[in-house]
Amino acid sequence: MASLPKRIIKETERLASDPVPGISAEPHEDNLRYFAVTIEGPEESPYENGVFELELYLPDDYPMEAPKVRFLTRIYHPNIDRLGRICLDVLKNNWSPALQIRTVLLSIQALLASPNPNDPLANDVAEEWIKNEELAISKAKEWTKLYAGKR
Amino acid sequence: MTDLESDDSLLLEFEDDDSESISNIDAPTDSKATHLDSDFANIPPHNVDTDDSEFDIDESQFSEDDLEDDYLVFPIKKTTKDLLDEDSLPSLKYECLTTQEIFDSMKRRVHHLQPVFSLPPQDILILMQRYDWNEERLLEEWTEKMDNLLIESGLNTSGESDGRGVKNGKEFFCPICCEEILTETFSLECGHEYCIDCYRHYIKDRLNHGKIITCMDCSLALKNEDIDQIMGGASSVKLMDSSIKSFIRKHSNSYKWCPYTDCKCIIHLKDTLSLQEYSRLHASRFVTCSMGHSFCFGCGFEIHAPADCRVTDQWVKKARLECENLNWVLSHTKECPRCSVNIEKNGGCNHMVCSSCRHEFCWICGGDWAPHGSSFYQCAIYKNEDKNKLVADTPKKTLRRYAFFYKMFTEHEVSAKLDWKLGETVGFKVKGLQEKIGVSWIEGQFLTESLKTLNEGRTALKWSFAVAYYSDPSHNLTKIFIDNQGLLSNAVESLSELLQIKSPEVIMKRRTEFYNKAGYVKNRTKALLECGRDLLRKGISKARE
Ligand SMILES: [Zn+2]
Ligand SMILES: [Zn+2]
Ligand SMILES: [Zn+2]
Ligand SMILES: [Zn+2]
Ligand SMILES: [Zn+2]
Ligand SMILES: [Zn+2]
Ligand SMILES: [Zn+2]
Repeated sequence: MASLPKRIIKETERLASDPVPGISAEPHEDNLRYFAVTIEGPEESPYENGVFELELYLPDDYPMEAPKVRFLTRIYHPNIDRLGRICLDVLKNNWSPALQIRTVLLSIQALLASPNPNDPLANDVAEEWIKNEELAISKAKEWTKLYAGKR
Repeated sequence: MTDLESDDSLLLEFEDDDSESISNIDAPTDSKATHLDSDFANIPPHNVDTDDSEFDIDESQFSEDDLEDDYLVFPIKKTTKDLLDEDSLPSLKYECLTTQEIFDSMKRRVHHLQPVFSLPPQDILILMQRYDWNEERLLEEWTEKMDNLLIESGLNTSGESDGRGVKNGKEFFCPICCEEILTETFSLECGHEYCIDCYRHYIKDRLNHGKIITCMDCSLALKNEDIDQIMGGASSVKLMDSSIKSFIRKHSNSYKWCPYTDCKCIIHLKDTLSLQEYSRLHASRFVTCSMGHSFCFGCGFEIHAPADCRVTDQWVKKARLECENLNWVLSHTKECPRCSVNIEKNGGCNHMVCSSCRHEFCWICGGDWAPHGSSFYQCAIYKNEDKNKLVADTPKKTLRRYAFFYKMFTEHEVSAKLDWKLGETVGFKVKGLQEKIGVSWIEGQFLTESLKTLNEGRTALKWSFAVAYYSDPSHNLTKIFIDNQGLLSNAVESLSELLQIKSPEVIMKRRTEFYNKAGYVKNRTKALLECGRDLLRKGISKARE
């Protein structure tokens, strides 16, 4: 395996020494480009008290190419589909090499705090969200209890 | 020269390598090389030196004034005025362009806009890109937003250009790669400075996206000169190319890529208004790129007159749908109607002869061959379809009816391909005329012209079966149409025979015969096309699922 770029080493070190509140990201010991991530559901969101597991992978061309991130824990959210794929601009068109793992994870946390059903990835969820927000939020809370309970 | 991709060009269903041979004959000079490298003044005037009524070259196009003032003007202005069109149709005004030529015309627009913005051309180019090269919308928003528009587009409004550019080598810590090395760096006025390698990598990834490239950390735009300075070469050409491609994608009703494989031509239709008139008259908008590829601007398919785009679409869909069933009908062995022995179908001919009892019958109708005569068109069933009540009794019969039309269609397609092969030898024959009996190139062109006429006749014949299939068989006009098919078919066969002659002396001796037969094919083709359009216009032939 090619030696790890300095950029990735630096970011990994900083994630450990100066962690973002409510977020953890640890590289896999066999593959330092693969990170096990957890994000705590933001307070006063339907995901409060939940802990969500994600996987993050830095492609060969990182940081020119965006990291690949996916939810492993099931979540009821209009911008996250059944496979855990996330619809987020900084992971696609708006990625810039000046962004970092840390900024991406913060953006995902922000997405949990404010779901955007008008730019959906999971169409059925978004539809329900627009039709009856109250019901959707209670469903999101229910799923959080069911799948993202603290262990 | 830019490296164009043809990934979004359509694939022509019936196109194969043979098509090249035609274009080579049409364009005597090696126009491919010149065309690809074409800068503005250097486009080969296609077909100018052949005796050719197909395209009109408007001389006034070459005057300087026109070049300056007309939006997107290029030296070749073509109008279709061949036998595929009717006098009542407005002539199609279109031009054949490359992305480079479109970009050049955009640059001229930028030049014109300079007094409006009083900005450097590079900045106006950024504005034009941001507005997808839509000058009108740009000017509208400019009057409303002024400076805000500049900021939105990533242009620096401070008036200072301090700190912009590549900086000399120094010890530098780059926040992108996190390396601390001796390196050149680049930054815009924002001061976001990165090593040159990171910037090169960043730009290279984005040249094909067709969008403005910004600073890695803010929305300030990189101009073409920045890009070229960083990359150390004319890389911005690639970006402009991809930007023009995205422009073409967004204006697909007036710009279309030539669908032929690897062709880099773009047809720009200048009067989209006439399109309505065309569809009202069930005529199709056939265009020819400067490589000599002809196709339908409406559906991107090969030339399909007398069928209109709708009939063509339905016909092709049906062929795909029935594909399996057709194989069954077309290849199934058949019992002899007299002695019930199983007979395998022989080749393409529907004239069946039983190997056991020697009974001759028609594969389509199963009837005696005797009344069919020597031509396929004489099939009593086809000519008198309504009387014989073959029409749509059972699904099996419906399929058999379709199979007949489909078979005729493919038969003419195969013949057309054989004619194309013939085309290669025609080139040699013209050469032979020149070398052996001293005929001038231009004098030898009657051969090339005859081949072209033959091809047009074949294509019309082929697609006429799509129109006939959807036609009401009991209508008198359908019968006239079928008679016309027969006449054109005979005319085409006889011209095709003539083109097989090899000896240059014989060819020259029978020269008037070429003129006469080609002229006859032309007239018959025209008659069939007009009749076909009539069928469609009057609703006697109607595409249905
Ligand atoms: Zn760097
Ligand atoms: Zn910047
Ligand atoms: Zn072409
Ligand atoms: Zn068409
Ligand atoms: Zn028999
Ligand atoms: Zn036969
Ligand atoms: Zn028959």
